[in-house]
Amino acid sequence: MDNKISNGDFWSLLKQSGYRLCADLGPAGISGSGEAKHSFTHATTIFSFKYGEGVLVAGDRRATAGTTVMYDRTDKVIEIDRHSLLAIAGVPATAFEIARIMEHTFKYYRRSQLQELSLDGKVRALSRLLKENIPMALQGIGAVAPIYAAFDHIKKEGKIFFYDILGADFEGVEFTVSGSGSPAVRGILYYENRWGKSPLGHLNRAEAILLTMRLLETASEFDSATGGINTRIRLYPQIKLITEKGVEEVSQETLESIFAGEAGRAGGAHV
Amino acid sequence: MFEEPYRWVEAIRHRREYLEDQLSGGSPVVGLSWKNGAVLATAESATQKIYEIYDQIAFGGIGHPSDLEKLRATVLETAHIEGFNRSPGDVNLQRLIKFGIAPVIKQAFEEILHSPFIARLLFVEISIPSRKPYFLRINYDGIFDESSRDGILAPTSALSEKMSRFIQAQNLLPDLALDEAVQWAMRTWAISKLPSGPEENGESPGGETQKLDRLIRENLSSWKPEISVLDLELPGTSKYRTLSTQEITACWR
Repeated sequence: MDNKISNGDFWSLLKQSGYRLCADLGPAGISGSGEAKHSFTHATTIFSFKYGEGVLVAGDRRATAGTTVMYDRTDKVIEIDRHSLLAIAGVPATAFEIARIMEHTFKYYRRSQLQELSLDGKVRALSRLLKENIPMALQGIGAVAPIYAAFDHIKKEGKIFFYDILGADFEGVEFTVSGSGSPAVRGILYYENRWGKSPLGHLNRAEAILLTMRLLETASEFDSATGGINTRIRLYPQIKLITEKGVEEVSQETLESIFAGEAGRAGGAHV
Repeated sequence: MFEEPYRWVEAIRHRREYLEDQLSGGSPVVGLSWKNGAVLATAESATQKIYEIYDQIAFGGIGHPSDLEKLRATVLETAHIEGFNRSPGDVNLQRLIKFGIAPVIKQAFEEILHSPFIARLLFVEISIPSRKPYFLRINYDGIFDESSRDGILAPTSALSEKMSRFIQAQNLLPDLALDEAVQWAMRTWAISKLPSGPEENGESPGGETQKLDRLIRENLSSWKPEISVLDLELPGTSKYRTLSTQEITACWR
């Protein structure tokens, strides 16, 4: 038992115990030419938007390796604490590890310092982890481009943040998207928000969930790395909501009942 | 002075007397089970005394605030590193205390050239599969004891026995509602404010309960009770929360 002063920093504690997020890649860890040698693919579709009661965060369930579907029930929207979610796009091994570190970081800070880490502090914590991961990201084997959403109890509103793989954080004003299927939904979200029956921020819970399911099915039509909806095997996307009360996962039964009216609709062939 | 065994034993005895004297003014901590988990209660403390350790583990302590803080920090670090490196399900009280801080506390107590921990701790854990509480009490000399029923942490052994006798005489069921568990925890704590127990003053247990209730209602605001619960029905992974003053007051309406 030493006499060090605790500042509630779990990441430093973890590193003192010998943990490394990023494998030691040596001088090759960053391309000698200063240029990334690989294109970064985020084989997934995740997005988040503000609706009437808070923030909705959603993701498809597919994990791929090249053209192979590895798994169709991946959880890409991860509860970090009672009022925040991380949606992951990128290399799952790194993304899940970052989510685990964040979860422990926030819990450890709250318990050791007897206060919640500020929202700015939480946003910064993820940025710091992504920066630690730069060597892996630049090698093309560990890139992660996540979305972090939380309820800001000071401003009494939901907040959405997105990141590039180097750790820069940006605040999504009304919505944000990430992953390989995101171009298919980004334009629709803009259209709905600008020209739809009502802006995203005016949608109620059921409307927001229905729009989300339609968006994810659309993404899966245009992006083979995005999993769609398969009612036969009861495979639905992951949708979670953040309100002032906390995080709520929309149950499979709710998704089934909302989507029941959609499945039988005619039309929809895109090519 | 330490080359002779007698001197060492004498030094330990002096140290024990010193620690008992230091702890004698502390405010008790009471742990009870309720249908969703466990309640930890204390009152009249100048600083916070009940803390969350991990998702389903909490503790309360009597002693020097800096020593309590040092032990709390050590258990917190160990629990979180373990929870990260293995899994949250692998963090349990038995390993944290018996193989973690108990040997450290004992060593500090017996190394008479170093300062001991002026602390007596009560931990509680709720097992998620069985929903049962597990209370573990550890003394400044590293001696610990366990219970699945309740946990009493008192500044003196005489008061500890008196409080234990009181709570055991009630034959409480483990599935109490939260308000009932809070009431019984506070009644047990309030035993520390009575000049003598029922066996000394000839009062029936029922009569003593009424007297305790009156005492609590009269002093509720000045005692400033601090009560936290482990509640398995809370959403998310963390099952700990602190009751607000309004919630505590509502238990006595």
